[in-house]
Amino acid sequence: MTTMEVILLSVIAILGFVGYVLLNFGAKEPRHPHGDLFLGIYSFAIIVTVVVGLLIQWPIEFRWEELPVFYGIYGFAACVFLIYVAKALRFWLPRDEDYYEKRGGRLE
Amino acid sequence: MMGWLHPGLILILGAFLIPLFKGKAKQAYLLIPPAAALIDVILIYAGVFGDIPFSTWQIPFLGYELVFGRVDKLSLLFGLVFTLATFYLVLYALRVESSSDHMTQFIYVGSALGAVFAGDLITLYIFWELMAIASMLIIWLGRTENAHQAGFRYIMWHITGGVILLAGIIMYIGATGSIAFNVLNWGSGSAYLPSMLIFIGFIINAAVPPLHAWLPDAYPESTVAGTVFLTIFTTKTAVYALARGFAGFEVLIVLGAIMTVYPIFFAVLANDLRKVLSYSLINQVGFMLCGIGIGTTLALNGAVSHAFANIIFEGLLFMCVGSVLFRTGTSRCTDLGGLYKTMPLTCIFTFVGAASISAFPFFAGFVTKSMVISAAAAGNMALVWVLLQLASAGVFHHAGIKVPFFTFFAKDSGLRPKDPPVNMLLGMGIAAFLSIFIGVNPNSLYHILPYAVDFAPYTAPHMISQLQLLLFASLAFFLLITSGLYPPEQRKIILDTDWPLRVAAGKVMWFIEDPLMSFAAWVDGGLKRIAADFAFFGQEKEERVLIGVSVMLALIFLAFYLIVELVYRAIAH
Repeated sequence: MTTMEVILLSVIAILGFVGYVLLNFGAKEPRHPHGDLFLGIYSFAIIVTVVVGLLIQWPIEFRWEELPVFYGIYGFAACVFLIYVAKALRFWLPRDEDYYEKRGGRLE
Repeated sequence: MMGWLHPGLILILGAFLIPLFKGKAKQAYLLIPPAAALIDVILIYAGVFGDIPFSTWQIPFLGYELVFGRVDKLSLLFGLVFTLATFYLVLYALRVESSSDHMTQFIYVGSALGAVFAGDLITLYIFWELMAIASMLIIWLGRTENAHQAGFRYIMWHITGGVILLAGIIMYIGATGSIAFNVLNWGSGSAYLPSMLIFIGFIINAAVPPLHAWLPDAYPESTVAGTVFLTIFTTKTAVYALARGFAGFEVLIVLGAIMTVYPIFFAVLANDLRKVLSYSLINQVGFMLCGIGIGTTLALNGAVSHAFANIIFEGLLFMCVGSVLFRTGTSRCTDLGGLYKTMPLTCIFTFVGAASISAFPFFAGFVTKSMVISAAAAGNMALVWVLLQLASAGVFHHAGIKVPFFTFFAKDSGLRPKDPPVNMLLGMGIAAFLSIFIGVNPNSLYHILPYAVDFAPYTAPHMISQLQLLLFASLAFFLLITSGLYPPEQRKIILDTDWPLRVAAGKVMWFIEDPLMSFAAWVDGGLKRIAADFAFFGQEKEERVLIGVSVMLALIFLAFYLIVELVYRAIAH
């Protein structure tokens, strides 16, 4: 890698990290006074990764990596999928905190 | 060259001196054995290699020679990270007054080191069991009724695993005639069954689903510092043992891939942050097992380097949540929120741990986890690759976003805790520094891996793909939480695979204590009455009863014997 590439990638990575930290602030209720700024930086980080991702040459290990912005789509879909499965499991798995004390048998 | 001193021995012997000190002297002393053990390991790195028989103890009735110190790159890597982590964990736990807490922790780490440096199966087993007992004591030192019961459940899992392991070891020695602990010979006929028993013993300690329920059940019940200790050593010793004995065993790929995905749903649902992190620990061990199963040099390097890095950043996250628990008395999502203003340093350290576990570029997880995923791609394992990437997005969601978000932001819980005392901050600070150091300077870790490394994490496609994955996953979380579609946290516990054991075992106990015992009492009373009626001979009443009962029992045994005999004959002919 050339020095320029290293610098560019580092800037993108730092933007991504800053975006991630700001996301945590930004989703606060009631809204943070700098919420718009956070959202701006965060969106900018996302756009940069997408644009750079479209420009660079990818090594193709699996066929689906040819799809543009594959990793972004996959990350989004994975997160939604996991949350919805967890949501579905909510009908089944949660119990009151003293469930085992009541259910566990030994009623002394 | 001086004689080699076992770092585990330093900690175990050092543990027994702790009660002699009080106050400041104790705090000063506590740091000496971990520092000595760490320096010891570094000195071993500097020169001593090869099988070092720490002692030539002969076990007379077996005639084998035990190897307490097998030193190579693999065992040293774990030895180094264990002693390193112990040092800053002891720093973190420095203000704990009770000597028993520190003693059990030292013995626990010492036995983990003993297992890692064990060159033969018998030594391994001895330290394996010592580790199980020490860790149970650490859970009990949580000093609550829940901790007490969880400790019992924990030890039942581990005794079961230990007995299976022991059976496997004895059979393996019988089949191969050797006690050496190297790659086990699971392919050959006579060693297959014993190898599989040893394998089951190992994967119980590695918390492979469905044999994992002891981990999220028991670990969160210990003390603030005790939990951090527990999360590091038992599972990683199992990872070491699997890397040593079962490298390239394909079953591990499947188990590892399942293990990365399964706990995510539970981590999303769990309310207690220490449970969330316990599930994320299982997910992380899954990546390691997957790498061990793939078994190429890249994958094995990835597995053990991920173990190394995970000890640091997972410990860091547990220390951060522990600090919050220490200051507020709770680690539940529903009770926390908005702490970033009053606990700024803890918040920063949590972000470092969260970014590391989520594998952000320039943090430790990025340079280690990606080796495993690349090894899966290099082996053309499409499904495994898909699952591991799914798990990467998942771990980012529950450990990378959920933990910092619900603790430090989300809502104002009304709590205004301060940052923890300086020793706890130092412990977290060292771990945070190491997380970033490994991420920025991966060659420092790559140099000490067991195989030569030919892997460059910082390439444009790799960084962009990882950032896209993480940023879009966070975008999904952000959109769901602002639109109200994200399931709100509930004050609930989540059932897991220990449900049948816990509920059914309770029912069995109830059956024994209630119907069975009343039946026994009824039989007992009935027998006595009949015996009394029979006993018309003899002088005293007691004697008559005694004789009568004896006669009755003799008759019952006779009848029982006759039935058994008849059944046996009926089957035999």
